[in-house]
Amino acid sequence: MQISVIKPGILSTVQDLGRYNYLSQAVPVSGAMDTLSARIANIAIGNHENAAVIEFTYADAVFKAETDILIAYAGDGAIFQADHQNILSERPVFIPAGTIISLIKNPKGSRTYLAVPDGWDVSEILGSRSTYLTAYFGGFKGRQLQAGDILSNRNQSTETAKNILNKLQGDSINYPKWSIARQLFLPDKRSIRVVPAKEFVWFDGRSIVDFLSLPYQLSLRSNRMGYHLEGAVINPLVKKQLLSTAVTPGTIQVTGSGSIIILMADCQTTGGYPRIAQVAAVDLPLCGQLSPGDTVYFKEISRQEAEILYFEREQQLQKLTAAVRYKFC
Amino acid sequence: MENEQAVKTDFTIYFLSEQAITIEFGYEIRQETLKQIRQLDRLIHQKPFPGFKTTVPAYTTLSVFFDPLQVIKNVDFPGHDCFEKVSAYLSQLTNETGDDEINTVKTVTIPVCYGGVFGPDLEEVAHLNNLTVKEVISLHSSAVYEVYMMGFVPGFAYLGGLPALLNTPRKALPRKVIPAGSVGIAGQQTGIYPLETPGGWQLIGRTPLTLFNAEKVPPALLKSGDRIVFKPIDQQEFEQYRD
Repeated sequence: MQISVIKPGILSTVQDLGRYNYLSQAVPVSGAMDTLSARIANIAIGNHENAAVIEFTYADAVFKAETDILIAYAGDGAIFQADHQNILSERPVFIPAGTIISLIKNPKGSRTYLAVPDGWDVSEILGSRSTYLTAYFGGFKGRQLQAGDILSNRNQSTETAKNILNKLQGDSINYPKWSIARQLFLPDKRSIRVVPAKEFVWFDGRSIVDFLSLPYQLSLRSNRMGYHLEGAVINPLVKKQLLSTAVTPGTIQVTGSGSIIILMADCQTTGGYPRIAQVAAVDLPLCGQLSPGDTVYFKEISRQEAEILYFEREQQLQKLTAAVRYKFC
Repeated sequence: MENEQAVKTDFTIYFLSEQAITIEFGYEIRQETLKQIRQLDRLIHQKPFPGFKTTVPAYTTLSVFFDPLQVIKNVDFPGHDCFEKVSAYLSQLTNETGDDEINTVKTVTIPVCYGGVFGPDLEEVAHLNNLTVKEVISLHSSAVYEVYMMGFVPGFAYLGGLPALLNTPRKALPRKVIPAGSVGIAGQQTGIYPLETPGGWQLIGRTPLTLFNAEKVPPALLKSGDRIVFKPIDQQEFEQYRD
């Protein structure tokens, strides 16, 4: 299966669930900003969750099916259209060769993930297929997609993916009536649950109350490395210097001027700003859908709660995988 | 006590994320601490637990990344959750003695062409420190440095050991582009830019070596704990290295 990129959109890259092997040599995690959507797109066509997907940022990308293709897409950055007809998300969709697909603005979010059977065929570098733009490696030729790029899928499809294709293929766009209810995973998009981080106690009580009750707005200085937020200033209780130490996507740092940064997929592996909180892993995908101007609230939970939520989420996703497999066995 | 020789110091363990915990040995950069972190790091890699993914050593901390789904299934580790289970494992490892570090320390020689287009700030560094250019080169290339930790960008090493006479403040205006391989000084630190990035360090030279190559395993030339010496070379030697 093959597609050609007609318009790349603002930032389209190949990503998987990230690169963990060389954090010790300062190679960032990278990977999908919204891993939940990336995983759901993969699950919907019977892929392994870590298969490489295309991450589109906002709308405006256009691509053409050069061959018959089986796809699934998920995420809130865009709605896929062919001939002005919406293609439904979060389910497998058969698309015949020659179809041109356009990404239309979806005001709900910012990123959308496109999966094909067995993932996009790009080399695995340092244990991952994710693009890391800063150092020009991974993904498709170490860069964002450009007009004229041709991408193919890998050819070790799972049995489920093969069965889905057999069931859906024909002369026209075809998809099942069911979809994966991704919305069920997203109770309140503007409330981000966080666990107090190591330096939480470095800040004064008033600032902590503000942090956990007032709105924060994503500034324009936001990208795959991290988001700068605007809102109530966080004041330190005591002036202390932190020696650089490991940080990870979801770490919320407080800068010298008291503003906050949420680190995202391409963040550095170490940082020297004090850390006020860590975004719960289950809510980090929500952050991946934010755009500049969006406001969020932070809500404190304990690390125990965060871990329980993590396991619940993993269980739900395992059930979905089993359900898709069962439907097409 | 049977375990008297084991390295045992106070440490704290804290939550980094659902998939990582950090063990912290105090708040100061000390030789003993760095050694301790590296020893624990080696022990974990020698005896990885089921679900262990990777580590990130830093000045006073070692962070351990894992797969919670595998860790929670581990009935051999005491604890109700992943944090407790991995904490228990790490605490127990701190009681063990590892191999002597002497056997594993690597010394990397980094050829540097000082000054000229490669080191546009060499004269400024000399001037600010009341030294001659020759003295700067001699001081910089006669010290033995230690990689305290990796961070900032892939392959970047935070080095300890810069002679105090060479401490120099950053440039008032950062450069938009600094070529890969540039050797710089900022405050009490010296380092090498592995990638072309913006930066505010005083540039005194450049190495023809590649510090980071994603196609190689491991991708970075340096790792935490390595010793480093800089060897002055001229432009002709620089070109030869390039070939």
